[in-house]
Amino acid sequence: MNRRIGKNRPRPAVPEPRARYSLRAWREQHLYSLFSSLGRLAARPWATALTLTVLGFALALPLLFWLLVDNARGLAGDVGEASAVSAFLKADTKADAVQALAARLRARADAASVVVKTPEQGLAEFRDRSGFAEALKVLHYNPLPAVLVVDPRGDPDALVTALRGDPLVDQVQYDAQWRQRLNAILALGSRGAQVMAALLALAALLVIGNTVRLDIAGRSEEIAVMQLLGAEAGFVRRPFLYSGLWYGTFAGVLSLMLIGIVQVFLATPLTQLAAAYDHAFAVHGLGLAQMLAVLAGAAALGWLGAFLAASRHIVRGLPG
Amino acid sequence: MIAFDRVAKRYPSGHDALSDLSFALGAGEMAFVTGHSGAGKSTLLRLVALLERPTRGQVTVNGRNLGGVRRRGIARVRRGVGMVFQDHRLLLDRSVFDNVALPLVIIGAPREEVVRRVRAALEKVGLLEREKSAPSMLSAGEQQRVGIARAIVAKPPVLIADEPTGNLDPQLAAEIMALFGEFEQVGTTVLVASHDLPLVKRMGKRVLVLEHGKLIDDFKPYRISP
Repeated sequence: MNRRIGKNRPRPAVPEPRARYSLRAWREQHLYSLFSSLGRLAARPWATALTLTVLGFALALPLLFWLLVDNARGLAGDVGEASAVSAFLKADTKADAVQALAARLRARADAASVVVKTPEQGLAEFRDRSGFAEALKVLHYNPLPAVLVVDPRGDPDALVTALRGDPLVDQVQYDAQWRQRLNAILALGSRGAQVMAALLALAALLVIGNTVRLDIAGRSEEIAVMQLLGAEAGFVRRPFLYSGLWYGTFAGVLSLMLIGIVQVFLATPLTQLAAAYDHAFAVHGLGLAQMLAVLAGAAALGWLGAFLAASRHIVRGLPG
Repeated sequence: MIAFDRVAKRYPSGHDALSDLSFALGAGEMAFVTGHSGAGKSTLLRLVALLERPTRGQVTVNGRNLGGVRRRGIARVRRGVGMVFQDHRLLLDRSVFDNVALPLVIIGAPREEVVRRVRAALEKVGLLEREKSAPSMLSAGEQQRVGIARAIVAKPPVLIADEPTGNLDPQLAAEIMALFGEFEQVGTTVLVASHDLPLVKRMGKRVLVLEHGKLIDDFKPYRISP
């Protein structure tokens, strides 16, 4: 075996390899990871599409629910502060008794205003608004009672109780009650949307984490070799983080598309519904800022899922 | 460059792979570790590369006491140690060039430098013309040479090899060993584990003989011309 006579010149060791190269190299590595991870997703189109569909639905469902609640709240707001208390008097109450009761109510501190609607006024209103004019002609007498519409000042409970106890009053209708109930239902729906969003976001996190975990398992030899050659944890993790980022972003786009499709399908019936109500309410979708927030949130979710999965695996390759 | 001071390694199974092992290898020195299989050769190398931690004692590599290296610091230690494996551990889905380039890509070397240094390393192992091939297209000896090129491309001060000729016929084995001899001449500390004592003796380098995890001999044979 031939042996060259050695030049035993000591070679400079590689000092601090990490710090030697520039920002440019750092940027190049990141760009490379960004696009190579995209390429890996594209290399398995079916698996990727399936994962993205699951993620897209998981993100779209809470968003749709939230939109529903938000629209309902807008609708409730249109109804306005319908807090008036209506007292329907007994049918045989004389007109002067009605006026006397109205005067007594006006004297109360918790009544801001009292409007008297005589049976005649009621009949005229009914005729105008209901389209029952023909039917009403058949009646020989006016079946409508006199009504006092009281606008309460402050807490209306005492006023409502007083009216209910009055011998002239047949029935008390208090609009604020159903408003309170509606508000409670809307608050419940809103909280429900939040809980659902949190649960489904967790599901999305697990789906992404698991997908990345499988990806890691498929490339475990590559990771092991990288670690043997002295790759930092960040370097090993980076392509998987970008995969997670892509999963999240694409899932976000898909969920926005799903919401768009649902909106298109619901647009016509919703417009009809709105037209059937006097409040011509407008149904709104997601604004641009909200869409961007959805995308950013989804991307962050993907990144986090990948980070959790990758970190766990990388630590396993290093002795404590 | 590599120093073991009263090092012991007991695996969780209770097997004592190394016990009370002390030796030192100077910068630019080449040595072989030999012994029957299970004598602790692989464990010794695994301690140098921080693939394992010793149970007792102190391992120093490149002037760094590995006992003080935390998990985060392992990668840097490994970048200072080129590793060659019996089963070469090349990535089969990448070309020869990309495999050799890995250690440089890991440290973020600029593209031009990667190309230049990978070509230099491949030329050194005589495989420059195969840079575009897939590792599976190469013979066992060529694959091992690619593994060596990858181990030296980033010019680590220490080069270790675990049975690098284990899968090769005697002719190829002798060629590979000669290749390691050349790296010593450029100042790299080289530590090669091999059970092929006749081949090791022919190299005329320092030989550490292990038996049941203990150093039983440390000698330098007279060089015998092949």
